[in-house]
Amino acid sequence: MANSETGQHIVSAFDRDLEQILALIMKMGGLVEVAILDGARSLETRDIELAEEVRKNDKRIDALEEQINEIAATTIAKRAPVATDLRMILSVLKINANLERVGDYAKNMAKRTSVLAEMPRMNGSEAGLRRMAKEVQGMLNDALDAFVQRDASLAEDVRSRDLDVDQMYNALFREFLTFMMEDPRNITPCMHLHFIAKNVERMGDHVTNICEQVIYLVTGELPEEARPKDDRASFATETELS
Amino acid sequence: MEDMHVMTSAMSTQNDTKISARNVQVYYADNHAIKDVDVDIQDKTVTAFIGPSGCGKSTFLRCINRMNDTIDVARVEGDILLDGEDIYDRKVDPVQLRAKVGMVFQKPNPFPKSIYDNVAYGPKIHGLAKNKADLDDIVEKALRRGAIWDEVKDRLDAPGTGLSGGQQQRLCIARAIATEPEVLLMDEPCSALDPIATAQVEELIDELRRNYSVVIVTHSMQQAARVSQKTAFFHLGYLVEYDDTDTIFNRPQDNRTESYISGKIG
Repeated sequence: MANSETGQHIVSAFDRDLEQILALIMKMGGLVEVAILDGARSLETRDIELAEEVRKNDKRIDALEEQINEIAATTIAKRAPVATDLRMILSVLKINANLERVGDYAKNMAKRTSVLAEMPRMNGSEAGLRRMAKEVQGMLNDALDAFVQRDASLAEDVRSRDLDVDQMYNALFREFLTFMMEDPRNITPCMHLHFIAKNVERMGDHVTNICEQVIYLVTGELPEEARPKDDRASFATETELS
Repeated sequence: MEDMHVMTSAMSTQNDTKISARNVQVYYADNHAIKDVDVDIQDKTVTAFIGPSGCGKSTFLRCINRMNDTIDVARVEGDILLDGEDIYDRKVDPVQLRAKVGMVFQKPNPFPKSIYDNVAYGPKIHGLAKNKADLDDIVEKALRRGAIWDEVKDRLDAPGTGLSGGQQQRLCIARAIATEPEVLLMDEPCSALDPIATAQVEELIDELRRNYSVVIVTHSMQQAARVSQKTAFFHLGYLVEYDDTDTIFNRPQDNRTESYISGKIG
């Protein structure tokens, strides 16, 4: 299939449309990656100005989402894409929505930073969150590389890495539960931190969605087997912690 | 409605084979136009033949009702079976065959006769009508199936050539189905029509699928995707890929198919 994927369209304007969409997705992905890292850094260093910047930048991400949707719709209307071109447009639409959502979570992290900055620190949990966010950002970076290079095996690899994020989340979940049981005054900050952790875990899920779209783009089929998961917090009980 | 469409197109893969071609070769003098074509065309299914100009799709279509017999230098080898019977067998009368395998051409070509006579001609020469009333019935039925009855019922004596292009084409389709064919071959039936007439003919093709096996040659990828359940891609005389239309347009297996349908320099 390699030939036809790289082959040029007879109508070269079609190629330019597709290139433009790709460039915008990459730009958006870049902004989202920065938002994840900056959000987590602002949380750890209690940098309210940086947090504010993350919130402001989310507007740019949203604007890009809209622009990409519009160009994709126009391309469908004008070019009636089929085969790889059709899968490209369809996956762009889904990747676009997933990226926007990840951006939202990063913004939410920044919002909570301004609240958390007024509260006592929770014994290094912020660093754990930052490591988790760093992992997700790395996954996103690779997922977008896989998209541009149409590399299904890289996408598959990134998809399996979500397991690490799930495990990091489980560890943080236990940590917060312990802090809250130790001292009820920890409940408010720990609840905020837990929401952040859950949101970063969800970011990982959105990145795996992007990977699945890459696999669909390349092979024409969504991956069949369930990806490895280890998000057990929903089943956690107190006794498990002892 | 959409679900029903998905269901019927999924079911279409289980239909019986109507036409079975094996190892078909066509030569125009020294020119080897069709090479090693094997294909099973299903009953009650619309099959689209696509491919660049000169790829052999029209040539192959014309083999199915022996239209190539009319070209002196054309020579057909291999087997083409209609309901299991070899249509190139010496016992087969091409005229009878063409009553069973109707054809509609690119340009609407009504006879310079009345609308009524255009449709009545086939049934008359094949002796399908016992009397005038019977013939009237056949003509009305064919015009109704051709989705043109309401537009012409008050002027059946008017010349067929006076109709609009889209109406003429539907008249030709009515004429083709008046002899109760089992297979309907269409060679780019919409290429001379405007979008509205095209939509009407496409709607008609979908209706015809209930009773006939329809084979359509088209240069419009979108039309092939819209009207057919099976698609065959021809290239340089070879049948490159033949599969469910959904598969051909979503995830074709062959690079040449992919390049052609997505308009790439292959």
